[in-house]
Amino acid sequence: MPTLNTLYFYLTEGCNLACRHCWMGPQFHATGNHYPTLPVELYETAIREARPLGLSGVKLTGGEPLLHPHFARLLEIVQREELKLTVETNGLLCTPEIAAEIAKSHKRFVSVSIDGTDAATHEWVRGVPGSFEAARQAVRNLVAAGIRPQVIFTVMRKNAAQVDAMVRMVAELGAGSLKFNVVQPTARGEKLHEDQETLYIGDLIELGRHVEQELAPRTTLKVFFHYPPAFRALHRIAGGDGCGACGIFGILGVIASGHYALCGIGQQVPELVFGEVGKDSLEEVWRENATLKELREGLPERLEGVCSRCLMKRRCRGSCIAQNYYSKGSLWAPYWFCEQAEEAGLFPPSRVGTRPA
Amino acid sequence: MIQTDRPIANPVVVLREEFADWAVLFNPDTAYAAGTNPVGVAVWKLMDGKRSLDDIVSEIQNSFEDTPDAAFKEIAAFVNTLAENGFVGFEVENQ
Repeated sequence: MPTLNTLYFYLTEGCNLACRHCWMGPQFHATGNHYPTLPVELYETAIREARPLGLSGVKLTGGEPLLHPHFARLLEIVQREELKLTVETNGLLCTPEIAAEIAKSHKRFVSVSIDGTDAATHEWVRGVPGSFEAARQAVRNLVAAGIRPQVIFTVMRKNAAQVDAMVRMVAELGAGSLKFNVVQPTARGEKLHEDQETLYIGDLIELGRHVEQELAPRTTLKVFFHYPPAFRALHRIAGGDGCGACGIFGILGVIASGHYALCGIGQQVPELVFGEVGKDSLEEVWRENATLKELREGLPERLEGVCSRCLMKRRCRGSCIAQNYYSKGSLWAPYWFCEQAEEAGLFPPSRVGTRPA
Repeated sequence: MIQTDRPIANPVVVLREEFADWAVLFNPDTAYAAGTNPVGVAVWKLMDGKRSLDDIVSEIQNSFEDTPDAAFKEIAAFVNTLAENGFVGFEVENQ
């Protein structure tokens, strides 16, 4: 049985932004948090039960994790347990005080989402006036606290022309790295794809190549384009491109309702919920859950379509099983990005190969 | 028969050259693949069963600038890893 390295805590079902591309689709509320949040006692229970299974870190995400009414208490528990800490935030509530609390964790990684180089673009994506400057201020607050966060920029038709300028802006803010994400066709992201607000597959691949081969070498900022490894240049992979082998075998989600799930997808797909925190033994869930066992036994060899022929499948493991299941209802469905690339004749031919039957 | 120190590339393995002189080595018999950097590509092309490991390292040192002191050790490790995974064999000869 693999080690349970990391618990992903989806702390709240609410969010103070209404992002067009969000794959979680949390309920929006501009002020306060009026939606379910994970009780602190369940958070502690999950951590306590995960420790003997090898837990070494937690990711705090959401919805917006900083909306959790006891966020500082959650941080204290991470510090007490000496766990690695990852926080994914939109930055709106990341005050100097919160940044200082996060900085007390010695092994921490924080990402802040900024989707444009100007307020009009970012706020078109994020749906809330004032969110652009708040996110930039969050980065400054974190830097002042001694944390060099990663800025995450999700590429879509509206902001694709700002990619180069984004590198300059993020470097000036003092962040440690910049990651370009692709919109996933899940929840609100699915609607964005349907509305053709996302880039065509050929444009995405070309943009990835531009980021890796032209932008990244020209800046001291670490810059990543988060697309499947089959598309990444070998020298980027060998140099540590910010995304190693998929960690699916060592990760479990805890969603705001207090349930274990494959990840946050459990909020969208009930069959990927595996048990209830505090009621079901985590060890038993981790050891015996049929879906987790099936994944351990089947990945990557049972992957279908282009993923079955991809030479990177042992590293990539289908890129995002949750996304694949959401799209096709199968754990073994190919990843949409790679499938579209193959259909368009754009899947790198040097990265496919099969054994003769 | 004794095994020499002259590595020979498995002839079924395909070298697929990519951006910036890196490459993928693909073994269609096993569907296994390995990525390699430009030095590895050059080593691969020299593994003809006639050159010894010393010969190969010498040619690499002549072809690349600033080869490290540990070049022989690193190239030997690379070749051994390839051999362990069926990408490379060693020429044999009669005693």
